[in-house]
Amino acid sequence: MMIEDHIRAAAPRHPGGIERSPPALLKEPLEFLFAEHYRHRQMCKILEYLAVEPAFDASLIAATDDFIRYELALHVIDEEEDLFPLLRRRCEPDDDIEDVLGRLSADHALDQQLAQAVRSIFALALERRTPPSALPGGAEALLKLAKQEKGHMALENAVVMPLARRRLTVDDLEALSLRLAARRGVAAG
Amino acid sequence: MTLKRSASASPRGVAWPQVEAVTIGDLLQRNAHWAATKARIDPEYFRRLSAQQAPDYLWVGCSDARVPANEVVSLDPGELFVHRNVANLAPSQDANFLSVLQFAVEVLKVKHVIVCGHYGCGGVRAALSGKRHGMIDHWLAPIRCLYEDEAGYFDRILDFEARVNAVCEANVLAQVRAVASNPFVQEAWVRGQGLSVHGWIYSIKDGLIRDLETSVANRKEATRLRTRGGAAHG
Repeated sequence: MMIEDHIRAAAPRHPGGIERSPPALLKEPLEFLFAEHYRHRQMCKILEYLAVEPAFDASLIAATDDFIRYELALHVIDEEEDLFPLLRRRCEPDDDIEDVLGRLSADHALDQQLAQAVRSIFALALERRTPPSALPGGAEALLKLAKQEKGHMALENAVVMPLARRRLTVDDLEALSLRLAARRGVAAG
Repeated sequence: MTLKRSASASPRGVAWPQVEAVTIGDLLQRNAHWAATKARIDPEYFRRLSAQQAPDYLWVGCSDARVPANEVVSLDPGELFVHRNVANLAPSQDANFLSVLQFAVEVLKVKHVIVCGHYGCGGVRAALSGKRHGMIDHWLAPIRCLYEDEAGYFDRILDFEARVNAVCEANVLAQVRAVASNPFVQEAWVRGQGLSVHGWIYSIKDGLIRDLETSVANRKEATRLRTRGGAAHG
């Protein structure tokens, strides 16, 4: 859907907040990452909502900004400096993983640029107490990130997660679990 | 002049560091404070430390100021023998590195040599940049060769930073191979000395070390590592 179409379409309903992942899920690292993707889709719904919502909602903007600032950034590290290098070591040549990982890494770099643009819009919206949809370029910035993220998640869920389930060993998953937890300030129990 | 941080509250109430100037005099004051704290907790600490140096580990790491060897593995002074250079290389013609390795293996009789690289290494990035940087280009030539030998593999990684990280890993593997085939290490194994060589990579973004599964503990394993695939496929 084009940005103009989205804006013309019926306004989306309030999507609610972004759910927290249960900490116990950290023991199942691939399930945890899958759940993170679900939370990213929730973020996309919020971005799509805020792109057209005419009312100013400071708490939703601040919560989404925090999610982008902390959770999204952590997730990129989870993948770029953990899951992807592990997959590069574990996958067979027939898996042909490199092109997909290469594209996803390029996506991550673009995500960060688009996320920065959204954070700038959020900062301005909070400062002026104005809905992001009313700011020049606001709706466009939010929808661009949402669209980019959704495409990225679809590729990860369709290709990367099934390969990870097939190729990672029990030891890999234990080590991954330890690092996912440590990255979030949870020491091994 | 360097920078120091002090805590303050962010608009959302989260403690957030601010940057202030640190003078050279501050460093001496900090040193006195550090020594006093150590002595207060353990009055014998420095006397014990000065009596002998018996570390079990040799750390071959990068000079990057954000990778403080002792701190990232939570070891006290005296517990880790450290050699650092740009891009954690183990060159067989470098008198500095060879002296450290020989002393560590033959005199200190360390049990483990750890080659630890880090993601986002500036040395690796410079080697891949295709630009001239001066003297450092000579030092980084082995990394450039490593990349060029497997350019077909590395160039499939479209994102430059991800490519740099893949070469960082491959560089660790290459240095583990270099250490494991070094005559000082080979002779130690012939003597029956217990000695393992490990390849790790650290992330500045999360403070965590990843084991690259390149550990070798004898000549047979070293040979197997040397003949195992290319640098990119450790």
